Amino acid sequence: MSTSTAHSHDTHALPPRPKELAMHFDTLHNQYQAGKLGMWLFLGQEVLFFAALFTAYAVYRGNHTEMFHVGQYFLDWRLGATNTIVLLFSSMTAAWSVRCAQLEQRRGLVLTIAITWLCALTFMVVKYFEYTHKIHVGSVWGDSFHIHNMADLPRGVVDWLYKHNPGLAQMQGEEQLAAVNDMLGKNGLGLGSFFAVYFCMTGLHGIHVLVGMGVYAWLFVRALKGHFNRRYYGAVDNVALYWHIVDLIWIFLFPLLYLIG
Amino acid sequence: MSDAHAHSHGDHGHGEALPGTIGHVTSAKTLVMVFLTLVLLTVITVAAAQVDVGRLNVVGALAIAVVKGSIVCLWFMHLRYDKRFNFFIMLGSVLTLLWMVGYILFDTKLYQHDMENYRKNKTVDGKVKPE
Repeated sequence: MSTSTAHSHDTHALPPRPKELAMHFDTLHNQYQAGKLGMWLFLGQEVLFFAALFTAYAVYRGNHTEMFHVGQYFLDWRLGATNTIVLLFSSMTAAWSVRCAQLEQRRGLVLTIAITWLCALTFMVVKYFEYTHKIHVGSVWGDSFHIHNMADLPRGVVDWLYKHNPGLAQMQGEEQLAAVNDMLGKNGLGLGSFFAVYFCMTGLHGIHVLVGMGVYAWLFVRALKGHFNRRYYGAVDNVALYWHIVDLIWIFLFPLLYLIG
Repeated sequence: MSDAHAHSHGDHGHGEALPGTIGHVTSAKTLVMVFLTLVLLTVITVAAAQVDVGRLNVVGALAIAVVKGSIVCLWFMHLRYDKRFNFFIMLGSVLTLLWMVGYILFDTKLYQHDMENYRKNKTVDGKVKPE
Protein backbone atom coordinates (compact mmCIF):
# COMPACT_ATOMS: atom_id res chain seq x y z
CA MET A 1 0.00 0.00 0.00
CA SER A 2 1.25 3.46 -0.81
CA THR A 3 0.91 4.77 2.74
CA SER A 4 3.33 2.25 4.19
CA THR A 5 6.80 3.29 5.18
CA ALA A 6 8.17 -0.21 5.50
CA HIS A 7 9.75 -0.15 2.05
CA SER A 8 11.78 2.92 1.33
CA HIS A 9 12.22 2.02 -2.34
CA ASP A 10 8.50 2.47 -3.09
CA THR A 11 7.98 4.72 -6.05
CA HIS A 12 4.88 6.01 -7.73
CA ALA A 13 5.54 3.88 -10.79
CA LEU A 14 3.19 0.88 -10.98
CA PRO A 15 5.02 -2.34 -10.26
CA PRO A 16 4.56 -5.19 -12.75
CA ARG A 17 1.41 -7.17 -11.91
CA PRO A 18 1.98 -10.76 -10.76
CA LYS A 19 0.20 -13.28 -13.00
CA GLU A 20 -1.80 -14.62 -9.99
CA LEU A 21 -3.27 -11.17 -9.25
CA ALA A 22 -6.88 -10.80 -10.45
CA MET A 23 -7.64 -7.53 -12.25
CA HIS A 24 -9.96 -6.21 -9.55
CA PHE A 25 -7.35 -6.26 -6.76
CA ASP A 26 -4.52 -3.84 -6.06
CA THR A 27 -2.13 -6.26 -4.41
CA LEU A 28 -1.80 -9.95 -3.66
CA HIS A 29 -2.29 -9.05 -0.04
CA ASN A 30 -5.65 -7.42 -0.85
CA GLN A 31 -6.63 -10.46 -2.85
CA TYR A 32 -5.69 -12.82 -0.02
CA GLN A 33 -7.59 -10.86 2.65
CA ALA A 34 -10.69 -10.44 0.47
CA GLY A 35 -10.78 -14.17 -0.32
CA LYS A 36 -10.35 -14.98 3.34
CA LEU A 37 -13.13 -12.59 4.38
CA GLY A 38 -15.42 -14.32 1.89
CA MET A 39 -14.48 -17.71 3.32
CA TRP A 40 -15.13 -16.54 6.89
CA LEU A 41 -18.55 -15.23 5.92
CA PHE A 42 -19.29 -18.63 4.41
CA LEU A 43 -18.05 -20.39 7.57
CA GLY A 44 -20.21 -18.12 9.72
CA GLN A 45 -23.13 -19.21 7.58
CA GLU A 46 -22.09 -22.87 8.01
CA VAL A 47 -22.28 -22.48 11.81
CA LEU A 48 -25.79 -21.02 11.48
CA PHE A 49 -26.77 -23.77 9.05
CA PHE A 50 -25.74 -26.47 11.52
CA ALA A 51 -27.28 -24.39 14.34
CA ALA A 52 -30.73 -25.38 13.05
CA LEU A 53 -29.80 -29.07 13.35
CA PHE A 54 -28.27 -28.63 16.79
CA THR A 55 -31.46 -26.88 17.88
CA ALA A 56 -33.56 -29.77 16.57
CA TYR A 57 -31.27 -32.14 18.45
CA ALA A 58 -31.65 -30.15 21.68
CA VAL A 59 -35.45 -30.06 21.42
CA TYR A 60 -35.75 -33.80 20.67
CA ARG A 61 -33.34 -34.64 23.42
CA GLY A 62 -35.12 -32.39 25.91
CA ASN A 63 -38.45 -34.04 25.17
CA HIS A 64 -37.27 -37.64 24.74
CA THR A 65 -34.41 -38.34 27.13
CA GLU A 66 -35.16 -42.08 27.28
CA MET A 67 -35.13 -42.32 23.47
CA PHE A 68 -31.64 -40.78 23.35
CA HIS A 69 -30.47 -42.97 26.22
CA VAL A 70 -31.43 -46.18 24.39
CA GLY A 71 -30.57 -44.87 20.90
CA GLN A 72 -27.01 -44.17 21.93
CA TYR A 73 -26.46 -47.92 22.59
CA PHE A 74 -26.90 -48.50 18.86
CA LEU A 75 -23.88 -46.31 18.08
CA ASP A 76 -20.38 -47.70 18.46
CA TRP A 77 -18.34 -45.06 20.30
CA ARG A 78 -15.11 -46.78 19.22
CA LEU A 79 -15.88 -46.05 15.56
CA GLY A 80 -16.90 -42.49 16.48
CA ALA A 81 -13.69 -41.97 18.47
CA THR A 82 -11.59 -43.40 15.63
CA ASN A 83 -13.18 -40.95 13.22
CA THR A 84 -12.60 -38.12 15.69
CA ILE A 85 -8.87 -38.85 15.82
CA VAL A 86 -8.75 -39.23 12.02
CA LEU A 87 -10.38 -35.81 11.55
CA LEU A 88 -8.18 -34.14 14.18
CA PHE A 89 -5.10 -35.54 12.46
CA SER A 90 -6.37 -34.34 9.07
CA SER A 91 -6.97 -30.90 10.58
CA MET A 92 -3.32 -30.82 11.57
CA THR A 93 -2.16 -31.85 8.09
CA ALA A 94 -4.52 -29.26 6.57
CA ALA A 95 -2.97 -26.55 8.76
CA TRP A 96 0.41 -27.95 7.82
CA SER A 97 -0.38 -27.62 4.11
CA VAL A 98 -0.88 -23.86 4.67
CA ARG A 99 2.50 -23.73 6.37
CA CYS A 100 4.11 -25.61 3.45
CA ALA A 101 2.54 -23.20 0.95
CA GLN A 102 3.82 -20.20 2.94
CA LEU A 103 7.32 -21.68 3.15
CA GLU A 104 7.13 -22.75 -0.52
CA GLN A 105 7.81 -26.38 0.37
CA ARG A 106 6.33 -27.86 -2.81
CA ARG A 107 6.72 -31.55 -1.90
CA GLY A 108 5.49 -30.96 1.61
CA LEU A 109 2.44 -29.19 0.22
CA VAL A 110 1.55 -32.05 -2.12
CA LEU A 111 2.15 -34.57 0.67
CA THR A 112 0.06 -32.80 3.34
CA ILE A 113 -2.81 -32.32 0.87
CA ALA A 114 -2.66 -36.01 -0.06
CA ILE A 115 -2.67 -37.09 3.62
CA THR A 116 -5.62 -34.81 4.37
CA TRP A 117 -7.54 -36.32 1.45
CA LEU A 118 -6.72 -39.87 2.59
CA CYS A 119 -7.95 -39.06 6.12
CA ALA A 120 -11.21 -37.80 4.63
CA LEU A 121 -11.50 -41.06 2.70
CA THR A 122 -10.82 -43.07 5.88
CA PHE A 123 -13.55 -41.13 7.66
CA MET A 124 -16.04 -41.92 4.89
CA VAL A 125 -15.09 -45.62 4.84
CA VAL A 126 -15.76 -45.88 8.60
CA LYS A 127 -19.02 -43.97 8.07
CA TYR A 128 -19.95 -46.38 5.26
CA PHE A 129 -19.58 -49.37 7.58
CA GLU A 130 -21.61 -47.62 10.28
CA TYR A 131 -24.42 -46.71 7.88
CA THR A 132 -24.65 -50.09 6.15
CA HIS A 133 -24.71 -51.85 9.51
CA LYS A 134 -27.59 -49.66 10.72
CA ILE A 135 -29.55 -50.25 7.52
CA HIS A 136 -28.87 -53.99 7.83
CA VAL A 137 -30.13 -54.03 11.42
CA GLY A 138 -33.14 -51.87 10.56
CA SER A 139 -32.24 -49.09 12.98
CA VAL A 140 -33.14 -46.30 10.57
CA TRP A 141 -35.14 -43.05 10.36
CA GLY A 142 -38.81 -42.46 11.09
CA ASP A 143 -41.44 -45.08 10.31
CA SER A 144 -38.85 -47.24 8.56
CA PHE A 145 -37.38 -48.20 11.93
CA HIS A 146 -37.91 -51.95 12.26
CA ILE A 147 -35.57 -54.43 13.91
CA HIS A 148 -35.26 -57.65 11.87
CA ASN A 149 -33.41 -59.83 14.32
CA MET A 150 -33.08 -59.87 18.11
CA ALA A 151 -29.43 -60.97 17.77
CA ASP A 152 -28.58 -57.64 16.10
CA LEU A 153 -29.51 -55.63 19.17
CA PRO A 154 -26.67 -54.19 21.24
CA ARG A 155 -26.30 -55.39 24.82
CA GLY A 156 -27.49 -52.13 26.38
CA VAL A 157 -30.72 -52.21 24.36
CA VAL A 158 -31.44 -55.84 25.32
CA ASP A 159 -30.91 -55.02 28.99
CA TRP A 160 -33.26 -52.06 28.71
CA LEU A 161 -35.93 -54.22 26.99
CA TYR A 162 -35.87 -56.96 29.65
CA LYS A 163 -35.84 -54.40 32.45
CA HIS A 164 -39.00 -52.77 31.10
CA ASN A 165 -40.75 -55.93 29.97
CA PRO A 166 -39.67 -59.08 31.86
CA GLY A 167 -42.35 -61.00 29.92
CA LEU A 168 -40.13 -60.86 26.82
CA ALA A 169 -38.16 -63.83 28.15
CA GLN A 170 -41.22 -66.07 27.80
CA MET A 171 -41.79 -65.05 24.17
CA GLN A 172 -40.11 -66.45 21.09
CA GLY A 173 -39.46 -65.69 17.44
CA GLU A 174 -41.93 -63.43 15.65
CA GLU A 175 -43.96 -62.73 18.76
CA GLN A 176 -40.90 -61.54 20.66
CA LEU A 177 -39.70 -59.46 17.71
CA ALA A 178 -43.12 -57.80 17.37
CA ALA A 179 -43.10 -56.93 21.08
CA VAL A 180 -39.57 -55.51 20.78
CA ASN A 181 -40.50 -53.35 17.78
CA ASP A 182 -43.55 -52.18 19.68
CA MET A 183 -41.35 -51.04 22.55
CA LEU A 184 -38.64 -49.43 20.42
CA GLY A 185 -40.63 -48.17 17.42
CA LYS A 186 -43.22 -45.49 16.99
CA ASN A 187 -45.64 -47.02 19.54
CA GLY A 188 -42.97 -46.97 22.22
CA LEU A 189 -39.69 -45.08 22.46
CA GLY A 190 -39.86 -43.76 18.90
CA LEU A 191 -36.26 -44.61 18.05
CA GLY A 192 -37.05 -43.72 14.43
CA SER A 193 -36.83 -40.09 15.54
CA PHE A 194 -33.45 -40.66 17.14
CA PHE A 195 -32.14 -42.18 13.92
CA ALA A 196 -33.68 -39.38 11.85
CA VAL A 197 -31.63 -36.94 13.94
CA TYR A 198 -28.57 -39.21 13.69
CA PHE A 199 -28.73 -39.65 9.91
CA CYS A 200 -29.59 -35.98 9.26
CA MET A 201 -26.73 -34.62 11.34
CA THR A 202 -24.03 -37.12 10.39
CA GLY A 203 -25.31 -37.24 6.80
CA LEU A 204 -25.01 -33.50 6.29
CA HIS A 205 -21.62 -33.62 7.94
CA GLY A 206 -20.67 -36.52 5.64
CA ILE A 207 -21.69 -34.48 2.59
CA HIS A 208 -19.32 -31.77 3.82
CA VAL A 209 -16.54 -34.34 4.05
CA LEU A 210 -17.25 -35.44 0.45
CA VAL A 211 -17.14 -31.80 -0.72
CA GLY A 212 -13.86 -31.44 1.18
CA MET A 213 -12.46 -34.46 -0.71
CA GLY A 214 -13.49 -32.80 -3.97
CA VAL A 215 -11.76 -29.50 -3.24
CA TYR A 216 -8.69 -31.25 -1.85
CA ALA A 217 -8.42 -33.27 -5.08
CA TRP A 218 -8.52 -29.94 -6.97
CA LEU A 219 -5.84 -28.47 -4.66
CA PHE A 220 -3.70 -31.58 -5.12
CA VAL A 221 -3.60 -31.05 -8.90
CA ARG A 222 -2.84 -27.34 -8.50
CA ALA A 223 -0.11 -28.06 -5.95
CA LEU A 224 1.45 -30.60 -8.32
CA LYS A 225 1.47 -27.93 -11.04
CA GLY A 226 3.26 -25.59 -8.62
CA HIS A 227 0.56 -22.92 -8.64
CA PHE A 228 1.14 -21.71 -5.09
CA ASN A 229 3.79 -19.52 -3.48
CA ARG A 230 4.26 -17.49 -0.29
CA ARG A 231 2.25 -14.58 -1.65
CA TYR A 232 -0.39 -16.63 -3.45
CA TYR A 233 -1.87 -19.52 -1.47
CA GLY A 234 -5.38 -18.29 -0.63
CA ALA A 235 -6.98 -21.44 -2.04
CA VAL A 236 -4.88 -23.67 0.24
CA ASP A 237 -5.70 -21.49 3.25
CA ASN A 238 -9.43 -21.20 2.56
CA VAL A 239 -9.92 -24.90 1.86
CA ALA A 240 -8.06 -25.63 5.10
CA LEU A 241 -10.39 -23.24 6.94
CA TYR A 242 -13.38 -25.10 5.49
CA TRP A 243 -11.83 -28.39 6.52
CA HIS A 244 -11.33 -27.14 10.10
CA ILE A 245 -15.03 -26.24 10.30
CA VAL A 246 -15.91 -29.79 9.21
CA ASP A 247 -13.65 -31.04 12.01
CA LEU A 248 -15.15 -28.54 14.44
CA ILE A 249 -18.70 -29.76 13.79
CA TRP A 250 -17.64 -33.36 14.32
CA ILE A 251 -16.02 -32.34 17.65
CA PHE A 252 -19.57 -31.56 18.80
CA LEU A 253 -21.42 -34.34 16.97
CA PHE A 254 -19.27 -37.12 18.42
CA PRO A 255 -20.06 -36.62 22.14
CA LEU A 256 -23.64 -35.50 21.50
CA LEU A 257 -24.57 -38.61 19.51
CA TYR A 258 -22.15 -41.34 20.60
CA LEU A 259 -21.30 -40.63 24.21
CA ILE A 260 -23.88 -38.87 26.34
CA GLY A 261 -26.99 -41.05 26.35
CA MET B 1 3.78 -2.91 2.13
CA SER B 2 1.05 -3.60 4.64
CA ASP B 3 2.01 -7.28 4.80
CA ALA B 4 4.83 -6.24 7.04
CA HIS B 5 2.49 -5.91 10.02
CA ALA B 6 1.58 -9.58 9.76
CA HIS B 7 5.04 -10.38 11.07
CA SER B 8 5.13 -7.86 13.87
CA HIS B 9 3.61 -10.20 16.49
CA GLY B 10 6.94 -11.38 17.77
CA ASP B 11 5.39 -14.84 17.93
CA HIS B 12 7.30 -18.06 17.43
CA GLY B 13 7.39 -19.27 13.88
CA HIS B 14 7.67 -15.95 12.11
CA GLY B 15 11.41 -16.27 12.07
CA GLU B 16 11.32 -18.99 9.42
CA ALA B 17 9.00 -17.07 7.08
CA LEU B 18 10.45 -16.12 3.70
CA PRO B 19 10.63 -12.38 3.01
CA GLY B 20 7.32 -10.95 1.79
CA THR B 21 5.22 -13.90 2.99
CA ILE B 22 1.54 -13.06 3.42
CA GLY B 23 -0.03 -14.18 6.69
CA HIS B 24 1.24 -15.82 9.84
CA VAL B 25 3.36 -18.97 9.62
CA THR B 26 2.50 -21.43 12.40
CA SER B 27 5.49 -23.42 13.63
CA ALA B 28 5.60 -27.21 13.23
CA LYS B 29 5.91 -27.57 16.99
CA THR B 30 2.71 -25.58 17.59
CA LEU B 31 0.78 -27.69 15.06
CA VAL B 32 1.89 -30.95 16.72
CA MET B 33 1.19 -29.63 20.22
CA VAL B 34 -2.29 -28.47 19.21
CA PHE B 35 -3.05 -31.89 17.68
CA LEU B 36 -1.82 -33.74 20.79
CA THR B 37 -3.86 -31.47 23.05
CA LEU B 38 -6.97 -32.18 20.99
CA VAL B 39 -6.33 -35.94 21.17
CA LEU B 40 -5.85 -35.72 24.94
CA LEU B 41 -9.15 -33.83 25.30
CA THR B 42 -10.87 -36.49 23.16
CA VAL B 43 -9.55 -39.20 25.49
CA ILE B 44 -10.82 -37.23 28.48
CA THR B 45 -14.25 -36.86 26.82
CA VAL B 46 -14.53 -40.62 26.22
CA ALA B 47 -13.28 -41.47 29.73
CA ALA B 48 -15.64 -38.99 31.39
CA ALA B 49 -18.62 -40.47 29.52
CA GLN B 50 -18.01 -43.87 31.18
CA VAL B 51 -18.89 -42.39 34.59
CA ASP B 52 -22.58 -41.65 35.06
CA VAL B 53 -23.02 -38.31 36.80
CA GLY B 54 -26.44 -37.46 35.38
CA ARG B 55 -26.83 -34.07 33.76
CA LEU B 56 -23.18 -33.26 34.44
CA ASN B 57 -22.24 -35.70 31.66
CA VAL B 58 -23.81 -33.45 29.06
CA VAL B 59 -22.37 -30.28 30.60
CA GLY B 60 -18.89 -31.79 30.87
CA ALA B 61 -18.86 -33.20 27.33
CA LEU B 62 -20.05 -29.89 25.88
CA ALA B 63 -17.55 -27.90 27.94
CA ILE B 64 -14.67 -30.01 26.64
CA ALA B 65 -16.04 -29.71 23.08
CA VAL B 66 -16.13 -25.91 23.44
CA VAL B 67 -12.49 -25.92 24.59
CA LYS B 68 -11.52 -28.17 21.66
CA GLY B 69 -13.45 -26.01 19.21
CA SER B 70 -11.81 -22.84 20.53
CA ILE B 71 -8.36 -24.40 20.15
CA VAL B 72 -9.16 -25.35 16.54
CA CYS B 73 -10.41 -21.80 15.82
CA LEU B 74 -7.54 -19.96 17.49
CA TRP B 75 -4.58 -22.01 16.26
CA PHE B 76 -5.54 -24.23 13.29
CA MET B 77 -7.79 -21.53 11.83
CA HIS B 78 -5.30 -18.78 12.68
CA LEU B 79 -7.89 -16.59 14.40
CA ARG B 80 -5.28 -15.64 16.99
CA TYR B 81 -3.22 -13.95 14.31
CA ASP B 82 -5.95 -13.03 11.86
CA LYS B 83 -7.85 -9.80 11.32
CA ARG B 84 -10.22 -9.23 14.27
CA PHE B 85 -13.14 -8.89 11.88
CA ASN B 86 -12.95 -12.59 10.93
CA PHE B 87 -12.94 -13.46 14.63
CA PHE B 88 -16.13 -11.45 15.16
CA ILE B 89 -17.89 -13.15 12.23
CA MET B 90 -17.29 -16.49 13.93
CA LEU B 91 -18.16 -15.20 17.39
CA GLY B 92 -21.37 -13.65 16.02
CA SER B 93 -22.44 -16.94 14.47
CA VAL B 94 -21.71 -18.92 17.63
CA LEU B 95 -23.61 -16.43 19.83
CA THR B 96 -26.57 -16.56 17.43
CA LEU B 97 -26.48 -20.36 17.66
CA LEU B 98 -26.51 -20.23 21.46
CA TRP B 99 -29.30 -17.66 21.46
CA MET B 100 -31.43 -19.76 19.12
CA VAL B 101 -30.89 -23.04 21.01
CA GLY B 102 -31.46 -21.31 24.33
CA TYR B 103 -34.60 -19.50 23.31
CA ILE B 104 -36.20 -22.52 21.66
CA LEU B 105 -35.37 -24.78 24.60
CA PHE B 106 -36.93 -22.21 26.90
CA ASP B 107 -40.10 -22.45 24.83
CA THR B 108 -39.97 -26.25 24.65
CA LYS B 109 -39.86 -26.45 28.43
CA LEU B 110 -43.27 -24.80 28.59
CA TYR B 111 -44.85 -27.79 26.84
CA GLN B 112 -42.87 -30.47 28.65
CA HIS B 113 -45.66 -31.03 31.16
CA ASP B 114 -48.24 -31.67 28.40
CA MET B 115 -45.88 -34.07 26.70
CA GLU B 116 -45.26 -36.05 29.88
CA ASN B 117 -48.99 -36.19 30.43
CA TYR B 118 -49.57 -37.51 26.93
CA ARG B 119 -46.86 -40.11 27.28
CA LYS B 120 -48.27 -41.43 30.56
CA ASN B 121 -51.85 -41.72 29.33
CA LYS B 122 -51.05 -43.16 25.93
CA THR B 123 -52.01 -46.75 25.25
CA VAL B 124 -49.84 -49.15 23.27
CA ASP B 125 -51.66 -48.54 19.98
CA GLY B 126 -50.93 -44.83 20.19
CA LYS B 127 -54.43 -43.63 21.13
CA VAL B 128 -55.01 -41.34 24.08
CA LYS B 129 -57.08 -42.83 26.88
CA PRO B 130 -60.25 -40.90 27.70
CA GLU B 131 -59.93 -39.03 31.02
